[in-house]
Amino acid sequence: MGKFLHIGVGFAGEDESQAATWHAVASWTWDAQDETCGICRMAFDGCCSDCKLPGDDCPLIWGACNHAFHLHCILKWVNSQTSQAHCPMCRREWQFKG
Amino acid sequence: MEPLTSCPDINLGILMSLDDDTVQEILQSYDGFCAAAKSLLNGSIGHDFVSHVHTLCKHGLHSLARDYFLRSLEEAFEKNGASRFWRHFEDYSKIEEDLEKIDEDEIQRLLCKALKEICLEKENQEKCLLMFVHALQSYMENLSDGKHNFDAEKVYLFSKYQLIVSSILMASLPRHFPEVLHWYFKGRLEELSTIMDGELNEENDCRDRDEMDLDEKSKHRSGEMDIDECYHQDKFPENNKLVRSIGKVVRDLRNLGFTSMTEDAYATAIFLLLKAKVHNLAGDDYRSSVLDSIKEWIQAVPLQFLNALLAYLGDSISFDQHSSGLKSPLASQPSSCCPGTNTPSEGLIRWKLRLEYFAYETLQDLRIAKLFEIIVDYPESSPAIEDLKQCLEYTGQHSKLVESFISALRYRLLTAGASTNDILHQYVSTIKALRTIDPAGVFLEAVGEPIRDYLKGRKDTIKCIVTMLTDGSSGNPNGSGNSGDSLLEELNRDEDNQENVGVDDDFNTDDKQAWIDVQRWEPDPVEADPSKGSRNRRKVDILGMVVGIIGSKDQLVNEYRIMLAEKLLNKSDYDIDSEIRTLELLKIHFGESSMQKCEIMLNDLIDSKRTNTNIKATINKQSQIGADAESAETGISLDNLDATIISSNFWPPIQEEALIIPYPVDQLLSEYARRFHEIKTPRKLLWKKNLGTVKLELQFEDKAMQFTVAPVHAAIIMQFQDQMSWTSKNLAAATGIPVDVLYRRISFWISKGVLTESLGTDPSNHVFTLVDGMVDTSKSGGNSGNCEELLAGDEEPERSVASIEDQLRKEMTVYEKFIMGMLTNFGSMALDRIHNTLKMFCVADPPYDKSLQQLQSFLSGLVSEEKLELRDGMYFLKK
Repeated sequence: MGKFLHIGVGFAGEDESQAATWHAVASWTWDAQDETCGICRMAFDGCCSDCKLPGDDCPLIWGACNHAFHLHCILKWVNSQTSQAHCPMCRREWQFKG
Repeated sequence: MEPLTSCPDINLGILMSLDDDTVQEILQSYDGFCAAAKSLLNGSIGHDFVSHVHTLCKHGLHSLARDYFLRSLEEAFEKNGASRFWRHFEDYSKIEEDLEKIDEDEIQRLLCKALKEICLEKENQEKCLLMFVHALQSYMENLSDGKHNFDAEKVYLFSKYQLIVSSILMASLPRHFPEVLHWYFKGRLEELSTIMDGELNEENDCRDRDEMDLDEKSKHRSGEMDIDECYHQDKFPENNKLVRSIGKVVRDLRNLGFTSMTEDAYATAIFLLLKAKVHNLAGDDYRSSVLDSIKEWIQAVPLQFLNALLAYLGDSISFDQHSSGLKSPLASQPSSCCPGTNTPSEGLIRWKLRLEYFAYETLQDLRIAKLFEIIVDYPESSPAIEDLKQCLEYTGQHSKLVESFISALRYRLLTAGASTNDILHQYVSTIKALRTIDPAGVFLEAVGEPIRDYLKGRKDTIKCIVTMLTDGSSGNPNGSGNSGDSLLEELNRDEDNQENVGVDDDFNTDDKQAWIDVQRWEPDPVEADPSKGSRNRRKVDILGMVVGIIGSKDQLVNEYRIMLAEKLLNKSDYDIDSEIRTLELLKIHFGESSMQKCEIMLNDLIDSKRTNTNIKATINKQSQIGADAESAETGISLDNLDATIISSNFWPPIQEEALIIPYPVDQLLSEYARRFHEIKTPRKLLWKKNLGTVKLELQFEDKAMQFTVAPVHAAIIMQFQDQMSWTSKNLAAATGIPVDVLYRRISFWISKGVLTESLGTDPSNHVFTLVDGMVDTSKSGGNSGNCEELLAGDEEPERSVASIEDQLRKEMTVYEKFIMGMLTNFGSMALDRIHNTLKMFCVADPPYDKSLQQLQSFLSGLVSEEKLELRDGMYFLKK
């Protein structure tokens, strides 16, 4: 009895280089409170209408009011305003959250 | 003839002037003439024959004498010639019934003997006739100036005689005689062909020398030399002898008025021989081209034979021409037997064309009948396809091909027993093969239609197509061609080649190219369907035709995305080179925008690799601080953890199953996620714990076993690390999966011999125990303990991604209520109407955007769930 000793994750055998052996799958999320960007109506975890790749290429930005938008979307909005830009959602003055 | 046939009014005068003496004289000489003629025909020369003729002529009764003479000739021939001739063949009257008993040599001997006999008889009679003619002639010469042309009379009599001979023979012709002739020629030709076949091989090289020793018939040959230098007739002494003997028989037969029958007989024999030869040469081997060797054989055997025969007969006929002049009217003027020295070449050319056409047709029929097999081993069988192409160009019987091939397909391929993969491969091979035969694709259209229609009805068609397109190994199951290349790559190569040959794009053709194109234009074959557009639009595009089965490229792309997701999620390294390649190829064909999501998926993998490395780098920095106590305990650290991080919005819906993974690993995952959050703030990771791959090693006292499994398997087996046996309920609770799923998953370990299942006290609660002595596993795991198994070995493949059908069903369930409501109100509705109503009312959230086909498949699902009923195309609520 008790011949079964140990379960090792990973092959301890001849191939030492093959260390990593639990290959897991995860999905990432921006963890914004909302699902979609209030400007382009695209999903936050997707990308804005001008981008092709989500994630690093199309990041989110939070305002001081805690509203999140795609960076490209809000920049477009801010640049189009002649005077001080307001948050499209709550009309408060737009400040990038430090 | 004019001076001999007297006018009727003169005859009357003669009658008036007859007296007893003259009547007496006439009677006497008539009797004498009859007796003399009789004895003449019996072989002895009758005395006074000439004087009797003279007497009769003197009284103007030459026509009487002539008619009598001819009639007695007829009687004699009938008695001595014809009946005796036919008697020779009486034994063969049952020739058709017992073909095995036929002795060709016997037939030959018999025929020669009979012919010799009858010809002798005929010759004798002709001599008698000649004597009669001479008698008449001498009378004429005595009578008057003797200046008139007697040849006409002679010619007339001889032709009359010829006519008599042939009509007697024809009238008494036994039914089996043509058969006898046929067998004779068959035997002779076979003999000849064996001789020639044998000698052809040795003598090919000394053709030049042989052409020198031609005999006196070389004058015929000089005319034919430029037709084809291959006619080395008179080349071999024995076949020359053979041809002569055949020629003699033919001449004799012709002499008797059997010209057309003879020709029929030897033509049939030649064709049969040719057919046998074609079948023999072509056989079931499709890997070599046989057309050339058939043509060679036609040149070598039948044409040589005919050449020799015609040359031989050419002499005799031109001789006959002078002697007897008119041919038997019963004999049709044979095209190939025109007398004269230069005509045999023309006849020979006709024969050559006839024979070649026949050979083409035979080969074509043979190949068409076997086209299915030929296409099955297509790349190897391309010589046979080439042959068929040439044959069809010659005979133009493409429609035969289409018909026969379609019925073969229906019978052999489009059956429930054939796997979709096989059908698809055959379809692709068919496209490739028929493209060779018919570049315009007209017949392909007709042939492909049943296959397409059939495949549309199969559920796994799309999946198989995608696999075939993208998966190298299954693209060529026979290992033919460049193994490992997917169909897509092959197609791409083909296309590159094609485009180098001819630029077909409308926009970049300059005037010169346009002119070249115009000159190359050929009308569509007559079979072309005018509704299918013109030829250049029908340019054969394999991918297009394959995608055409599915209907739209969107469905194909979608299926590809699901397969790609499956493949990527099961990768334990980040090696996606081949996927990138495939994606690039697909982008070329389907456009970048439709492949956008797939590109993001691949990009996720590239990003994951980078992120993974970055996260590992942070560990190494911190590892000096001190490793976790737990991870040291279990022997796993973050070094053992890799992750694929996906942008879930762009992936197909992923199947989530609850799973509690062992605590240490779970800790690692959290740690990994924390580090990810640090690097990529504010992004977070959401683990899909049931996905991924785990490589693990089971260490026993005496050996170690390695497996690559899904996380759920790993989670199960790792529970046994602390506890040797588990009841199914406890184990299910510990791993967080339902009991029925547990049973399914745990069977993997049972089949590997790691666990055993036993019935516990509670029949619904089985007990799983770790096998202690791993004795029997060494058998199942092979002799090395190192049995690395692929994921979920023999159990049905578990999908990590929801299939298209599942997705569709999920999406459609929203509409189920609508449909039920509609049917409650309206009682019964047709498919169209349901579709239109849904389109009209379900405009928002979620809008109804399904196709009629998708709706139909959903409804048939409801029918099979017995929620609905389908009668005469109308859907009802099931009561």
